[in-house]
Amino acid sequence: MSWTLIALLLLPLVGSLVVAFLKGNDRTAKLVALGFSLVELALAVVAWVAYDPSSGARLQLTSSVDWIPTFGVHLSFGVDGIALVMIALIAFLMPVVIGGAWSDKLPEGRSASGFFSLLLAMQTGMVGVFAATDVFLFYVFFEAVLVPMYFLIGRFGGPNRQYAAMKFFLYSLLGGLIMLASVIGLYVTSADKLGQGTLDWATLVTVMKDAPTSTQIWLFLGFFIAFAIKAPLVPLHTWLPDAGAEAPVGAGVLLVGVLDKIGTFGFLRYCLPLFPAASKQLAPLVLVLAVVGIIYGSLLAVGQTDMKRFVAYTSIAHFGFIALGIFAFSSQAGAGSVLYMVNHGISTGMLFLVVGMVMSRGGSRLIQDYGGMAKLTPVLGGLFFVAGLSSLALPGTNSFVSEFLVLIGSYPNQPVFTIISTVGMVLAALYVLWVYQRVFQGPVRGTALLNVAAGPGTATDPERSGIKDLNRREIAVLAPLVALVLVLGFYPKPVLDVISPSIGATLSEVGVTDPVAQEGK
Amino acid sequence: MTFLAQVELIKPPEIEYSAIAPVLIVLGAACVSVLFEAFLPKHQRWAAQVVLTMLTFIGAGTALGLYAGAETTTAQGITTLSGAVAVDRPVIFLWVTLLLLGFGSILLIADRSVEPGGAFVADAAVRPGTVQDRAQATRTGMQTEVFPLTLFALAGMMVFVAANDLLTMFIALEVLSLPLYLMCGLARRRRLLSQEAAVKYFLLGAFASAFFLYGLALLYGYAGSVKLADIATATAGSDKSDTLLFAGFGLLVVGLLFKASVGPFHAWTPDVYQGAPTPITAFMAACTKVAAFGGILRVLTVAFERTNWEWRGVLWGVAVASMVIGAVLGLTQTDVKRMVAYSSVAHAGFLLIGSISLTEQGLSGTLFYLLAYGFTTIAVFGVISLVRNADGEATHLSQWAGLAKRSPVLAGVFTFLLLALAGIPLTSGFVGKFVVFAAAIQDGLAPLVVVALVASAVAAFFYLRVIVLMYFSEPAPDGPTVTVPGAFTTIAITVGAAVTLVLGVWPSFALDWAGAGGFIF
Amino acid sequence: MTPTYYLLLSALLFSLGAVGVLVRRNAIVVFMCVELMLNAVNLTLVTFSRMHGELDGQVMGFFVMVVAAAEVVVGLTIIMSIFRTRRSASVDDSNLLKY
Repeated sequence: MSWTLIALLLLPLVGSLVVAFLKGNDRTAKLVALGFSLVELALAVVAWVAYDPSSGARLQLTSSVDWIPTFGVHLSFGVDGIALVMIALIAFLMPVVIGGAWSDKLPEGRSASGFFSLLLAMQTGMVGVFAATDVFLFYVFFEAVLVPMYFLIGRFGGPNRQYAAMKFFLYSLLGGLIMLASVIGLYVTSADKLGQGTLDWATLVTVMKDAPTSTQIWLFLGFFIAFAIKAPLVPLHTWLPDAGAEAPVGAGVLLVGVLDKIGTFGFLRYCLPLFPAASKQLAPLVLVLAVVGIIYGSLLAVGQTDMKRFVAYTSIAHFGFIALGIFAFSSQAGAGSVLYMVNHGISTGMLFLVVGMVMSRGGSRLIQDYGGMAKLTPVLGGLFFVAGLSSLALPGTNSFVSEFLVLIGSYPNQPVFTIISTVGMVLAALYVLWVYQRVFQGPVRGTALLNVAAGPGTATDPERSGIKDLNRREIAVLAPLVALVLVLGFYPKPVLDVISPSIGATLSEVGVTDPVAQEGK
Repeated sequence: MTFLAQVELIKPPEIEYSAIAPVLIVLGAACVSVLFEAFLPKHQRWAAQVVLTMLTFIGAGTALGLYAGAETTTAQGITTLSGAVAVDRPVIFLWVTLLLLGFGSILLIADRSVEPGGAFVADAAVRPGTVQDRAQATRTGMQTEVFPLTLFALAGMMVFVAANDLLTMFIALEVLSLPLYLMCGLARRRRLLSQEAAVKYFLLGAFASAFFLYGLALLYGYAGSVKLADIATATAGSDKSDTLLFAGFGLLVVGLLFKASVGPFHAWTPDVYQGAPTPITAFMAACTKVAAFGGILRVLTVAFERTNWEWRGVLWGVAVASMVIGAVLGLTQTDVKRMVAYSSVAHAGFLLIGSISLTEQGLSGTLFYLLAYGFTTIAVFGVISLVRNADGEATHLSQWAGLAKRSPVLAGVFTFLLLALAGIPLTSGFVGKFVVFAAAIQDGLAPLVVVALVASAVAAFFYLRVIVLMYFSEPAPDGPTVTVPGAFTTIAITVGAAVTLVLGVWPSFALDWAGAGGFIF
Repeated sequence: MTPTYYLLLSALLFSLGAVGVLVRRNAIVVFMCVELMLNAVNLTLVTFSRMHGELDGQVMGFFVMVVAAAEVVVGLTIIMSIFRTRRSASVDDSNLLKY
């Protein structure tokens, strides 16, 4: 019985309740929220230290109590390396997000305490999703996390927030309900086999191993559709640009940075080990979707006029890479994918934040409303550039390592798909640099910047333009992200060490032999 | 042989008084309640009736508790009154459910704080629209006959679920329906609407009763008896007329489905739900549903299990129709009460899925679903009765805009209840769906479950629309106010919401209790 | 005379009643059609009672009659009250409630 995960789970929930009761006292509410998120970060460090990648245990820091004995449902928690890095990522991003949203202008009549309370509530849900080792419990968190996100978008988002919130919720709910059919299917299959049904993940892995392929395929599809909506893979992605564009910046970081990773995490934790035969059979389908997503997301990112939608589309391309790595079935590609999940959280989170900072200065989301901004705000320009480079996976930044691992690991198994997906890398350079060029380079122009200016002729003058460069708080928010971009770019080993054993275990559950390892022998 | 000697030959049936005491108490109290109406002066009646009704519930509950608790020798239940009534485990569960839900409804019915004088007309004989009618709108009296009527209806429901032959079932059906027809027409406000609802309900209800009765007659012709057990025995032989059996079954089931407001036999539901006084709507939506499905479960399981291959396909289609009608037509509604009515049609479809999977899990799942749904519904209508403007209840959806700002607590509770109706985890609605669908998949009804899940997703849309209105829209300046409820309504809403939460978080005890045993016949 | 004719007659009466409920407009007439259906059932019950050679069906007939009487009381009350309001018993005039 380990209490670390339970503490990680309950702390933000308590924080959320406390913050909710600090209505009308925004400053205290923010400080309390930040305090809770920092303690949570410390707890995550404790969990990281307590986790022993070399021990060989599939799940660690486990705890379990009976919940609904009639259905063999337990309140059981535990992490493998993959879940652990995701939990660490949330814990790291949370203080950053709170800092980033510190002086956000909320829609009229909304209080900051509500906003931060919902953020913390979401953290509980996300930790729960990654830490649950009972399929029923996972499902509960999977759905529960929708509710705070729905309110974050719907209450605090942009002008079109009602539509975006509704679309987000309905898409996810539909996916969730389809998954529910599969969850019930798992229960029934286990009941047929064991006499008493169970929803314990580890037991189900052994039960499902020799289930008939047709059963596996049906159940796999239920899970897969839910995760493909979450991740999002291409035909099911249309909610993300809307939700990402309308969500307030802080919620957007969590949405794209962490919440969507539930989908890719779900592939690794549920689709592959529970349905090995189906995974192998349907892998080509997933790979097609992944590669289409890479190209399609990149192309649309090039054509975007709205900065937040732009970030959302780059994410769709990145999720294609992650899915490619997962379904290529090799240890390098798998580890690369998980690392990509972390790196994408960092780089896209940062990109979202700097876009938010640009928007808070110009008041517009449209790229064409800006131009030559680097002259007015050199630091912001520089950091936008760093975030962009990290997003396009320049060598030396974090994303490069993961993208490289995914491609090199996928090539032996899936050369065709790998080669096609490299087009995405080229397009990535195009869309990032082009946006940077339009917003920050050249002479100062664009209605957003000119309108803020104090008077005619002042706009080009950094001193008098009314557009201020980053303040200390904003630099403090971005600094840890920049640090991680560089550290993980040069020395990703500590993270890879945690991930790799779990990827190995996952692959052995699928029952594939690693092509790269074989060559080594 | 003399006449008297002949009389002695007829042996009176054995009566197990302790088993049927709860029903006798409710019926006896209903009769006393009628006497109160006759002999007490008008100003004393309300208090006397409320006290009497409360005592009735306590008495019936105690009697039931004593019987169920002391049941040692007849653990699985008994039949009494020469087999006309069965008191077995499902019946005890349904009786407890009915008493609890009836108590909740009585709290809403008795409340006089929300609307001065209560939701019922002071003098039903006064013509709507006349001078006297305007005068009575301000009077604080109410037609206290609703109390005996409710008790009679409740007793009818209790007999209905316990009836072991079709004739008893028919009498019980009428005993529960006739008071309901009357109660529908007693609204204090919008009396025309209310009277119209009563006429519609009455005509369609009588029509459905006639179908039930003709089915009874044909089955009598088929089996030579109307006892469920005898019909079951008769279906084992092959020398009887199948035409009589299936025509009888079809007509009988139409009558039952009508009461349960299963689509396509739902035509009365939205009109009656909208027109009836809200406390009565709550009573109908919760208790009638429980009674009707209790009856359906017993008839299908006891009498027709052996022929299920012949009729299952038909009810399959009915369940699909009900879910689709409820979910799709619910989308177009602009009135909260009508919306909940269509939601109840969709829920009836889900319940029917549980009822036609003729397994222990199907039985216990449906019973649990009824318990969960009943409490949620009572709380929903309790909340609806609180949102009012000068004309009474403000049920038009547009009037609910921005309610979260006016009354955050009420909006929060209502949101929770809507999420329960939509089946989000950690609410009883989710557990209910889970158990029912699990039973259905186990019994090979997987395609039906998929339809049900898609219907739930569609239905979620209109629940969400209300949440969007309450939270994300700005309140209209002349919008309705939220009445501060008195003790009765507060208790009803609180208990309803609390049970919804408890059954969602810790459903084990209720699941075990619902699965304690099967029907005795 | 075989009892089957009585069954056919009662089925005919029941169908007549059902059709009447669906096509007639006046609430009183609709209600009388329901009564016709109930009485058709009575005829069926009595016929089957005769065919089975026992009295159960006839006893059930009495139950149906009592219930029908109770239904008349309640039904006429309701129809009367709306008739006094509207001065019309046509179900088509009741149109406040619709989709």
